[in-house]
Amino acid sequence: MSQFGRVKQWNTFARCWHLFDATWQNPLQCSPLIEKYLKGLHKPIYHPFVDCGDHVVIMNSKQIAFPGEEWRRRVYFHHTGYSGGASWTPAWELHEKDPTMIFRKAVYHYMKGNLFRRVVMERLHIYPDSNVPEEIMENITNQIQPLRPIPKTLDSYSNEEIEKYPKIIDYPQDYLLSK
Amino acid sequence: MFKIPLTGTMLAASRLSAKLLTPNSGLHTTAATLLKEIQANKLGNKLIIQGSYVPSPRKDYLIENKSKCCPLCSLDLNIKHTDVLILSQFVRPDGCMMPRRVTGLCPTQQKIVSKLVSMAHKAGLMIKMTPENCKKDPTRRKNWKKFNTYFDESTIKVYDNHFTQMKRDIILKYMQNKNL
Ligand SMILES: [Zn+2]
Repeated sequence: MSQFGRVKQWNTFARCWHLFDATWQNPLQCSPLIEKYLKGLHKPIYHPFVDCGDHVVIMNSKQIAFPGEEWRRRVYFHHTGYSGGASWTPAWELHEKDPTMIFRKAVYHYMKGNLFRRVVMERLHIYPDSNVPEEIMENITNQIQPLRPIPKTLDSYSNEEIEKYPKIIDYPQDYLLSK
Repeated sequence: MFKIPLTGTMLAASRLSAKLLTPNSGLHTTAATLLKEIQANKLGNKLIIQGSYVPSPRKDYLIENKSKCCPLCSLDLNIKHTDVLILSQFVRPDGCMMPRRVTGLCPTQQKIVSKLVSMAHKAGLMIKMTPENCKKDPTRRKNWKKFNTYFDESTIKVYDNHFTQMKRDIILKYMQNKNL
């Protein structure tokens, strides 16, 4: 094999590490995106029996967002196996106990259930905040683009910026300004 | 007819006079052309409280509305709940939505904007505009309120009454006939 061919071989079968910032992201919408990288669906050599998936590191999983009333309406079910062992936990209660669990469950349940699923899930590393260990951080070569833009708060704008922004309405003539 | 006890009428009268004398009342002898502001000046032992007119701080940055519609209808904007720079214009410093006689919007737009404002507050995007006793930090809220939430603007539903629906249909038909 030529030298160039050998490098090409290394590159195709090397495992890449992708970073994903989960601030203001909906885990249910992100799971198809992350599954693509975990299984290696974006590679031309993909086959279900070929172990060609990449690693994905998710940080800031505590900052995930849900739409509308999803935090209290979404319920996670668990059964201990004993009689009367069923329990239903709202998403916000689960997120308080373990801020990584909702994201892991979202990715796990999105994937088709087979014997490879547990193996693929081992390549997913989730961290609740931005304190990712250095031994993992040094492997990362790519960042996955987030799906939703992070909304800007009013505090992030300066007073001058707010004042000089084009105004749609003016106060009526006898409006009492409060200090 | 006149069997109301005197004390009651006296009380009412006193209340009325108090209302009239406060600087918040909308009474003025001269023509009001500018915004009002209450100023408190101290001259030695005297404390002078007076209402005076000041030019509007929004005067230079105002978008002119030449049409007969309300300002939002004429601009035809697609406002999201994350556009805090626009939504904060319709809100008092304590975060409550201004009434329609102040904003000058049509009922439909007023309803939409007030819902967008409440969405922005729930998402914690306008923490600057909250009452003084507010915690000012969305992560210190109770239960599910401390986590990030976003909203879908298509969930805002404005129900027109029968008359406005008919009016809109007639205008649409007219536009179709004229091929506008
Ligand atoms: Zn209008």
